[in-house]
Amino acid sequence: MAMPTIIEPGTKGIKMNLTRRDFIKAAAAQSALMTAAVLFPGITFGDWQRMDDSATGFQWKKTPCRFCGTGCGLLVGVQGGRAVAVKGDPACSVNKGLCCVKGYHSIQALYGKDRIKTAQVRKDGKMVDVPISEALDLIADKMKETIGKHGKDSVAMYGSGQWTIPDGYAASKLFKGCIGTNNVEANARLCMASAVTGFMTSFGLDEPMGCYEDMDYADVFVTWGNNMAEMHPVLFSRMLANRKRKKDVQIIDFATRTTRTSQAADKSILFKPQTDLAVANAICYEIIRNGWVNENFVKKHVSFHRGKTNIGYGTEDHFKFKDKAQNISFEQWTEFLKDYTPEKVEKISGVPAKDIKYLASLYGDPDKKVTSFWCMGMNQHTRGTWINNLVYNIHLLTGKISTPGNSPFSLTGQPSACGTVREVGTLTHKLPHGVVMKEKARKMAAEIWNVPVSNIDPKPTYHTVEMFRALDRGDIKFMWIQVTNPMVTMPNLIRYREGSLKKDRFVVVSDVYPTPTTDIADVILPAAMWIEQEGMYGNSERRTQHFEQILNPPGEAMSDTWQLIEVAKRLGFEKQFPWTEENHIEMIWNEYSRFHDSPKHRMAPYNVLKKRSGVQWPFVNGKETKWRFHAKYDPAAKGEDFHFYGKPDNRAWIWQRPYEPPAESPDQEYNFWLNTGRVIEHWHTGSMTRRVPVLNGAVPSAYVEINPDDAANLGVVNGEMVKIISRRGSITMPASINGRGMPTKGQVFVPFFDEGYLINEVTLDAFCPISKQPDYKKCAVRLEKA
Amino acid sequence: MKTKAKKIGKSVSRTATVCLLIVGFCVLAVQTLNVRQVYAGDATPSFDDSGDKIFRSYEEIPPNYMIGDSGNRTLATYYDRRQYPGSPPVIPHPVETTFSKNKTECLACHAKGGWNAELAASAPLTPHPEKEACRQCHVRLNTDKNFVEHDWVSISPPRLGQAQLPGGPPPIPHNLQMRENCIACHTGPGAVVEIRVEHSSRGNCRQCHVPLPMTPLVRFERK
Amino acid sequence: MPVFSYLAIPTEGNKDALCAALEATDYCEIIPAENQEVVVLVTDTPDKETDKRLQAQLKKLSCLQSLSMTYGHADDNRTGN
Repeated sequence: MAMPTIIEPGTKGIKMNLTRRDFIKAAAAQSALMTAAVLFPGITFGDWQRMDDSATGFQWKKTPCRFCGTGCGLLVGVQGGRAVAVKGDPACSVNKGLCCVKGYHSIQALYGKDRIKTAQVRKDGKMVDVPISEALDLIADKMKETIGKHGKDSVAMYGSGQWTIPDGYAASKLFKGCIGTNNVEANARLCMASAVTGFMTSFGLDEPMGCYEDMDYADVFVTWGNNMAEMHPVLFSRMLANRKRKKDVQIIDFATRTTRTSQAADKSILFKPQTDLAVANAICYEIIRNGWVNENFVKKHVSFHRGKTNIGYGTEDHFKFKDKAQNISFEQWTEFLKDYTPEKVEKISGVPAKDIKYLASLYGDPDKKVTSFWCMGMNQHTRGTWINNLVYNIHLLTGKISTPGNSPFSLTGQPSACGTVREVGTLTHKLPHGVVMKEKARKMAAEIWNVPVSNIDPKPTYHTVEMFRALDRGDIKFMWIQVTNPMVTMPNLIRYREGSLKKDRFVVVSDVYPTPTTDIADVILPAAMWIEQEGMYGNSERRTQHFEQILNPPGEAMSDTWQLIEVAKRLGFEKQFPWTEENHIEMIWNEYSRFHDSPKHRMAPYNVLKKRSGVQWPFVNGKETKWRFHAKYDPAAKGEDFHFYGKPDNRAWIWQRPYEPPAESPDQEYNFWLNTGRVIEHWHTGSMTRRVPVLNGAVPSAYVEINPDDAANLGVVNGEMVKIISRRGSITMPASINGRGMPTKGQVFVPFFDEGYLINEVTLDAFCPISKQPDYKKCAVRLEKA
Repeated sequence: MKTKAKKIGKSVSRTATVCLLIVGFCVLAVQTLNVRQVYAGDATPSFDDSGDKIFRSYEEIPPNYMIGDSGNRTLATYYDRRQYPGSPPVIPHPVETTFSKNKTECLACHAKGGWNAELAASAPLTPHPEKEACRQCHVRLNTDKNFVEHDWVSISPPRLGQAQLPGGPPPIPHNLQMRENCIACHTGPGAVVEIRVEHSSRGNCRQCHVPLPMTPLVRFERK
Repeated sequence: MPVFSYLAIPTEGNKDALCAALEATDYCEIIPAENQEVVVLVTDTPDKETDKRLQAQLKKLSCLQSLSMTYGHADDNRTGN
């Protein structure tokens, strides 16, 4: 493939190649443009079409950004019923007026010409436009028919961390409360599940104890397998600003690949995939050996535990695993850590012992405040729960937690992975408060939802991977997918796509643009996007962010919440969904808030949310809680200082977790690691960002990053096609050598945003047995020059 | 006057130079100027938040820079690199992507400005050199093709020359967020031609140039 | 290989027509202004003869009011400016 031509944006349409002739032409154009500029002050040749003068009433409206879990406050300029400009909201403490390139151009994602504006139904194999009411009738009929024939667990809902809170709440109430199936999952299972189980096992309560303000206080930042410069750019620049202001701040990038984050960091430490488990244990070993343990803290607030080992990888259907905690002593744990001396771990991880000791010294220094950041690198991991536990271990051993600047911080990737999936509980085992297995939680839900408690099934059904396996097997016949694109994102994709296309499977997809997922749909519902509806998101730092409806959705497009309500009414659940289009968001919020009515989790009232640029929970007596588990900041914490009230023993748990290898490692036949991920310009599967001209212009298609030495051995130069082959599938795509990121030798990296190159046909559907979150970062492939 | 402009008529001339035409076209320009009254400004601007920065950035710019003029940056190119007034511009020149330990060196040119021989251009100053993660917002385009067709419309850029009196100081027609350094666009060889000022050595820009509110001012009325 | 750039002014209300006409003409590339009745035209012809014919052709366009050159590069001897 030829490399993309370099375009000179200042002279539209005239390519700045290196030939002299083109240069002359560009100069000619430039000269004319300059002359025009002198002659016609204010003349523009901008790319955008201008509004006519009749459109008046320019206004700035507040909203959280549509994209990642940072939750930047945006001000969207609106005129003539259209979003026309963006700036960062200076009143929002998250981003303080700054955005990233996606945020600044986010509103353009509303205006792709191929927006889905009408409902479509498959008739004789072809998609046909129908009125949306007809499509909703069909969905309700199909659900009734399927439940009648195959039972309630044959219908499923697959949602998203991009669901608004009311979207997820309506889905959970309809499926778990009214229909009575626990077949509710969300794509956050693919991105946040290990973070949740990490929090639950270590602290008993989900979501970070700290907040973004930690970044202003910390002296050391360690990014664990986390390319923040591209994935959480606004937070990353806040970190850089802190370093610039305070001078002695250090940023350590601990990763398997050299990225923009490594470039900006003070030190980049590379480790072999999966060996973060060993390094985290070695850091604890060093901290103990050097006497850097915060003994007072450990004595008062920490208990020690171990779980099962050799726990498997879930690559087979019907895989089951349940961990069991056993109390151990500090001494037993210390004994266990002797297998993880820096010298031994150097052999496993490839990290020099001195670097491990250096990391330990930063965490161990009592005068340094340390914040650790992680996201997909640690969560998309076949031992994702373990590595979350292990990083908490380090912070707990040194007492660096729950105080400003001392923060183990798990970042999220979607705007409401926390708000909708984790807090509302749109996962098979969850209810808005508690889990389905607990009778108390079922009773509470039944009462608030106005359904008989017998409706709520005490047994969880399928987690995401198993849900798509069930669809393939035929245990699930009907699936409704909202705001997500699993036909790009599921690992081992070929199996799940073929499964969804099998006879007598019925798939409903609600989305805003055509995607590979709408391609497999039997019904497509046109959805309202982002500020075309009222809703709330919840970001990484427990901040709930309300946005009003700012624009009208196009055509017959309808919010996901209202789609669910319309179908619920058709199924005969008017009593549970009595709201009007005008008041339903407020009513849902008021009802949902009843689930969290305690100082540990209280939500801000609707009118407060409407006014502010996000409010952090627990919101108690009119005050937000910035740091949890510390009496000085958290109204639910008792005593003088720390109080880990999430666990029955009122302590935080240190877990003994060993190093175990990944599900698949390179061997003679498949000799490379495959790592997948993202680029700053594109968000998730690119269905929105690729429709934004600047973002598409910057990264028009995916590529495979190869280490220069490997590329030389393979005889591949930049831009040449490479075939990546795994045991599951293969893909041929252009090579990027010395590009934006550089994998270590023996590793390749592919961003997954491009539906033209479905890298997930190559990846493996192994997952963390505790969290059930798949590992997209490690599988074995071989390369061929194509 | 309009007839005079028309007299230039349908002529194609190889020898005609720009200078000869300027007078005539200026007249034409005045006649056809399409007045637009929409600004991407703030309804309630709070400019004094950035006062400190405006003064500091002024102090840091060497006097030689302020009197320079390369004249090759115009409003046309300025807006061509943006999607709406105030959006972060794209990077119009090749950027080094080779992997070395060196950090992105954008600020080497864009913090203090100056002539870049390789690109044969004067580097425009960034109004926010304190922000180091440049490519968080600024990207390099590698294609001009869209993924799908697009239906994007935005407002017109602010109109120039909105002084209340002939010769009076024009107001500031745009929002100052992320653009607190007036010198970045209005002074020096990297300045935008049409909005370049010759008197930047006076320093206190907002002594004479006041923000232009987006909504009409509520006029004071005696009761 | 003459390369020239011009400011093309359309007759009143005919900017779109002018753009269409110029786009359809060989050797022409255009950059229309968005908020003024002006079009930047860059011509790139293989030789002087073609260029002459092109100019004659341009003169005949009824939607064109005036054309004024802003840059010229006549041939490889660099006799243009």
